[in-house]
Amino acid sequence: MNKRFKIILLQLLTPIVAILFAIALSSVLIVAIGKNPIEVYQTMIEFSLGSADSVGEILFNATPLIFSGLAVALSFKMGLFNIGVEGQYFIGAFFAAFVGFTLSGIPAFIHLPLAILAAMLGGVLWAFVPIYLKVRRGVHEVISTIMLNYIAYSLIHYFIADLFMDRNQKVPEGLGSPLIRTPHFAETALMPKLHGFLSFFGIDLPNSVYLNWFFVIGLLLTVGMYYLLWHTPFGYEIRAVGSNPKASEAAGINPNKVYFKGFLLSGAIAGLIGLSHLLSFYGYMDLDFPKNFGFNGIAVALMGNNNPFGIVLAALLFGFLNRGAEGVQTFMGVPMETIVIMQGIIILSVVVAANILGRYIKRLEKKEA
Amino acid sequence: MGDIMEMLASALRMTIPVLITALGAIYSERSGVTNIGLEGMMMTGAFWGAYGALHYGPVGGFLLAIAMGMLVALIHAVVTVTYRVDQIVSGVAINILAYGLARFFSIALFGMATTSPSVNGLPKIDIPILKNISVLKPIATDISPIIILGILLVFVTYWVLEKTVFGLRLKAVGENPLAADTLGVKVIPYRYLGVIISGAFAGLAGAYLSIEHTHMYVEGMTQGKGFIALAAMIFGNWMPYGSFWASFLFGFAEAISMRVVQSKVVPYQFIKMIPYVLTLLVLAGVVRKAQPPASVGIPYSREGD
Repeated sequence: MNKRFKIILLQLLTPIVAILFAIALSSVLIVAIGKNPIEVYQTMIEFSLGSADSVGEILFNATPLIFSGLAVALSFKMGLFNIGVEGQYFIGAFFAAFVGFTLSGIPAFIHLPLAILAAMLGGVLWAFVPIYLKVRRGVHEVISTIMLNYIAYSLIHYFIADLFMDRNQKVPEGLGSPLIRTPHFAETALMPKLHGFLSFFGIDLPNSVYLNWFFVIGLLLTVGMYYLLWHTPFGYEIRAVGSNPKASEAAGINPNKVYFKGFLLSGAIAGLIGLSHLLSFYGYMDLDFPKNFGFNGIAVALMGNNNPFGIVLAALLFGFLNRGAEGVQTFMGVPMETIVIMQGIIILSVVVAANILGRYIKRLEKKEA
Repeated sequence: MGDIMEMLASALRMTIPVLITALGAIYSERSGVTNIGLEGMMMTGAFWGAYGALHYGPVGGFLLAIAMGMLVALIHAVVTVTYRVDQIVSGVAINILAYGLARFFSIALFGMATTSPSVNGLPKIDIPILKNISVLKPIATDISPIIILGILLVFVTYWVLEKTVFGLRLKAVGENPLAADTLGVKVIPYRYLGVIISGAFAGLAGAYLSIEHTHMYVEGMTQGKGFIALAAMIFGNWMPYGSFWASFLFGFAEAISMRVVQSKVVPYQFIKMIPYVLTLLVLAGVVRKAQPPASVGIPYSREGD
């Protein structure tokens, strides 16, 4: 009992140690450019957590990372590495955009869900290729998904810049050229903000904050994912295949079937990543549509130890870091990139710490036996 | 004819950074370590190459870039070989880290996040004999010495892998580390070397982009070339000559894509997809069978845990 407690405590400590390590290393950089790290971190916390709208901004930042972390973690649980979450969310976002700007005149309660479904479909489609190649042709999913990420970038670029570019933009005479973007979506495809709901509780967010219902959907999905993994037969199969495909096959589970279903589900979730930005902040898709949520999801999943609730915490932490980065850049002249560096260090130190911890736990268990 | 040779010359310029990085990747992968951090290592090389060239001249730039590429690779080696962390996770983290570091130092050292001041490249050279044949003039005159070096590295890599004790041991470690270990080959140092050599090559390739190609560092100038190099290595079946032809094919596609922009026959985005689509086809066994080293991606420990 005592040992069990010790192990849980150590597991909780791992991410904290990693964060402290990242803070220490980043401090070296901050000192190197002649700033005081303590002051920087203090500014970061005050700026990020000092007002309701800043907290709203953090939640908005965290929203795509929750979906992304869940998508990565689901494939991790099966022992697969879906590095293609990046491409899947790009394709998903475009599918939603397509529904957004081609349809109009239908009620929001049909249009919006349709856009969301389209995004999931796009993600599934882009997840289908690598898992098909994996199961049927034995192609390693990491390499195929990297290639597919780049194919997705090019394809979306083509769709936005050539095929579906909005050519009816009204650009004032002599004031620049039209933007390379899709047409605006119909109002009915946009996700309402959380502001009205929050004002019931006396929290008033300014209009500049784009926190919307996708955050709530992300939380619901987190609970759903937890339920799926630990309380359904399919979840059991996923975990069984993930911990030992050969043993699970002997126990009557068909790993390939589990891989297929699980990976497509992972793709469906990945398709949702960009929607919080697309259907709320932007209202159209352009060439600047944010990249890298897919890759950051890997960091979030690792930080959260592939546990759905851990992922929410990790996503919030990253949302906080990104928000704080804006603060220290504005008020202290410390480059925002310090935070990107910190994220990279956090991932590396989390995985190394987890490895050291894993060996330690094994030794602990051996000693007992 | 002149046009075609011009085209080949430009294809060759596009080939070199991908080729050098792909050759480096061979060392890492044949030793058993997947390196998807190549993109980050190239980016690091591009940045420090420009910084070094600005202060110590082009040769200094290349040396600094190689050293920094090796340093980043060392992180990958420590994390994956010593701590046996998943190689993909480490590679992804390294790409994120390298991106952040490049931007951070760009602001700190150049005062701009996205570009450096312009730098001088190495003196251009002509290839004797070939330069006198008028048809070959575009590819034999006024070229960067790094182009020659890149092509020489193809032969060097082949020789090292096939003819030297070091190469044979490196490959043994990637094929069957347990057997190699039993025969007294130290697995860990060989894997470290494989990864670090790949970092040196990627750093050199990145510096070629900034010092020789554009004469300045521009953020994002690697444009996924690290991943294309990985694709070229796979397409080339983890072999130097194969990687050369694959890199050339991809360089050629890139050279075409720049011309296609004007002609608009095929959208250039589709030409950009060629390396990735071809690699998928190779992996799927449609073009031919890929044969990765047997133990690539699998961490090694004597205890077998």
